[in-house]
Amino acid sequence: MLWESSVLLQLALSGLLAGALYALLACGLNLVFGVMGVINLAHGELMIAGAFLSWLAYRYIDLHPLVVLPLVMGLLYGFGVLLQRWLIERLTGRDELTSLLVTYGLSILLMNLGLLLFSADFRSVPVLQGGFYLSSLDLVISKPRAVAGAISLALTLGIFGFLRYHRMGKAIRAVSEQPEVAMICGIDVAKVRQMTFGIAAAMAGAAGVLLSILYSFSPETGGEFLLKCFAVLVIGGMGNFLGALLGGLLLGLVEAFVGGFFNVQWAEAVAYLLLVLVLLLRPGGLLGQRHAVF
Amino acid sequence: MSAPPLLHLQQLDASYGPIQVLFSVQLEVQPGEIVALIGPNGAGKSTVIKSIIGLVRVLRGQIRLAGREITGMATHHAPLHGIGYVPQGRILFARMTVRENLEMGAFLQQDPRERRRLVEEVLDQFPQLAARAQVLAGHLSGGEQQMLAIGRSLMMRPKLLMLDEPSLGLSPKYVDQIFAQLLVLRDQGHTLLMVEQNAARALEIADRGYVLELGRNRFADRASALLENEAVRRLYLGGV
Repeated sequence: MLWESSVLLQLALSGLLAGALYALLACGLNLVFGVMGVINLAHGELMIAGAFLSWLAYRYIDLHPLVVLPLVMGLLYGFGVLLQRWLIERLTGRDELTSLLVTYGLSILLMNLGLLLFSADFRSVPVLQGGFYLSSLDLVISKPRAVAGAISLALTLGIFGFLRYHRMGKAIRAVSEQPEVAMICGIDVAKVRQMTFGIAAAMAGAAGVLLSILYSFSPETGGEFLLKCFAVLVIGGMGNFLGALLGGLLLGLVEAFVGGFFNVQWAEAVAYLLLVLVLLLRPGGLLGQRHAVF
Repeated sequence: MSAPPLLHLQQLDASYGPIQVLFSVQLEVQPGEIVALIGPNGAGKSTVIKSIIGLVRVLRGQIRLAGREITGMATHHAPLHGIGYVPQGRILFARMTVRENLEMGAFLQQDPRERRRLVEEVLDQFPQLAARAQVLAGHLSGGEQQMLAIGRSLMMRPKLLMLDEPSLGLSPKYVDQIFAQLLVLRDQGHTLLMVEQNAARALEIADRGYVLELGRNRFADRASALLENEAVRRLYLGGV
């Protein structure tokens, strides 16, 4: 019964949609790493900030998460710019241990702030009930999953297009390659770094809003997601934007199949099995390069 | 020398971190000329250029461009002041295409149509690059990379073009090509300040030259006179 094509298709589709959220989160993390050489351990907390903003807006002013989404992205963008200006900028050019320590500290600070404000209780934003029935394929896709997945994918591809084709996106790539030469071209490197961190934070915030309609979450959820993000990055290739997208989708897919065929506990561990597998067979990641590629 | 110099360094002291590298350096570049800055390794030649565009800290002294003081400017303002710079080792954005590299050279041009026009202009001037516009810069040959680095620095139509070791690591064929290109640029009215290890070649195409030693001015003269100068020949041109 499990091998029926409709079941396989169902698993594949819901896996890809879940994976799109990983991709959105991981691509932001990857962008910061590619441009600043900083591994932002607080990236998961930025996502949870987005989730709680979504929850607050739903609970107290009855705003739909999809309405809140652009506002949260704007807020997180601003927060990201300030973080970069006041904190992360001081870390560029330092060794990785320093940036790991500082962003780890930031992560702990933000998480405990969350615990203080919201307690460790799990929350959720129960909008978008039920599912879409695709009669031609005879499958049902849950509405939250479909919406969150589609928006995640659109945002990730949108940012990719921005980096590829927009003047400022190209400047971000230039700074990630050769900051000094970028300066000579007239690019204000500090500003570009702020923009980069802002974009990554906005992506994390968006992931948080979408997370809030998919799963229940607490201030401690960020850490779990971040761990999976690292698996995604290594699977896809550190610093490679498309690699992170691919890695995220792949992880979602594998989790869905393992969850479908075995059980959900195994699905939680499969990210790390995949990680070990990739490290054994292709240590640079699937689209691995030694440098950042957008 | 009646016209005011385009570039004027007065009593320039500069340091790399705690180490002072330049001591009271004097230098002038007149509009439309090629000036070669030569000297042995560690003389501080590159430092002179880097201190002009703010990549190295100036301790004392003045840098004037067309009469305006630009000492210690922010590096990303260089194109605004009309300074183009070709870094040593022809550093490109290797994972961007030739066209994108040129676009970055015109980053400050906000209007996309105008930017495209500038790109086409430079591609017209370097037909070799035009044929490879969509190729990643990292895949170009050494000579093509140097052409691209020069092309990128020309994008904002600089008043002053500074080149750091343009012939370094190039095969003789490409060295000829690059130096020929520099002469073309001068004939088009560009002003060039060039740091060059290959002193003899540099002085052959230059109008004037400065010899730097241990961060201090040693000789300054017309290029042809420096080529004839006994001491310069013995010390820096490997001649007898």
